[in-house]
Amino acid sequence: MWRTLENGVREFIAGKESWAAAAVAALDCPGFMLDVDEEVIADEERSCYNCRYRRWSAASFTCQWRPQQG
Amino acid sequence: MQIVISIDDTDNLESRGTGEIASLIAEGLTANGWGSASLVTRHQLLVHPDIPYTSHNSAMCFLAEINEGCLEQVISFAGDFLGRESAEGSDPGLCVVSLPDLKHAPELIAFGRRAKLEVITMPEAYQLADRIGAHLSEHGGTGQGIIGALAGAGLRLWGNDGRMKGSLKFSRETVPAAELLAHPNVDEVRSITGESVDALDLVRLGEKPKTVLIDGASVLLVSAAEAGEGEPLWQTLHRKELKDY
Repeated sequence: MWRTLENGVREFIAGKESWAAAAVAALDCPGFMLDVDEEVIADEERSCYNCRYRRWSAASFTCQWRPQQG
Repeated sequence: MQIVISIDDTDNLESRGTGEIASLIAEGLTANGWGSASLVTRHQLLVHPDIPYTSHNSAMCFLAEINEGCLEQVISFAGDFLGRESAEGSDPGLCVVSLPDLKHAPELIAFGRRAKLEVITMPEAYQLADRIGAHLSEHGGTGQGIIGALAGAGLRLWGNDGRMKGSLKFSRETVPAAELLAHPNVDEVRSITGESVDALDLVRLGEKPKTVLIDGASVLLVSAAEAGEGEPLWQTLHRKELKDY
């Protein structure tokens, strides 16, 4: 579900429309934090698509959470 | 007189969102007796490696009706608020457009639409603001947020971009369209497929229903519901169906 970019950042490889996969990816993530309401787009509240730490890109998003933030 | 206030790039990963700051500025405008504000809307801008943004690159915007002679006070208040309340590491920008004084409105709208597709520079934003008579100011960091702020104002004026901040609240899950239309933030209830929605039709409200801007109106989009006899004919769209607005 993820690939690691050269700078060490993880990118979600399933793109912006894989609702189920994004929800599964967030299930056990210790860093999940629900974003502010206006940026929430997935109906499943706990979804990487709704997470404060996702950074949208043209094709998908990268995860900005680092373990030390938790 | 009517003005547009638009802000961008006020947050970081831990802070409150730009939408909340926009709402607080709107509340402050009312509390100071300068006028009254309309709903805040969110406008998606281009996500691109050359554009610095925290996580989503969206601008927040609202219209306000203010008393004559209050414009400078409102600009000063909004700018001070941004400077004080924006998050560390953010690059906040403020745009205020007085509609009676706006020149070349189509240029501002075109700028907003371009900002969804292209990388735009700060000098270009300043040049346009100067030409059309809009206020544009930086309030910390690199000030890069002026680009999104100006674009947000253009998109709000265009009237075919953005979704409302917050959600509509009703006491029941199913209501007639007429009751939805009586809400101050709903101008129209419209089927996503173009069918007409009768005032007496029942609409099932999903979680946190939101309006979107279409043709300058705040429109609650609905789709056909799987209905039995006496059941709602329509339901509000799911969040994911609104993500491209």
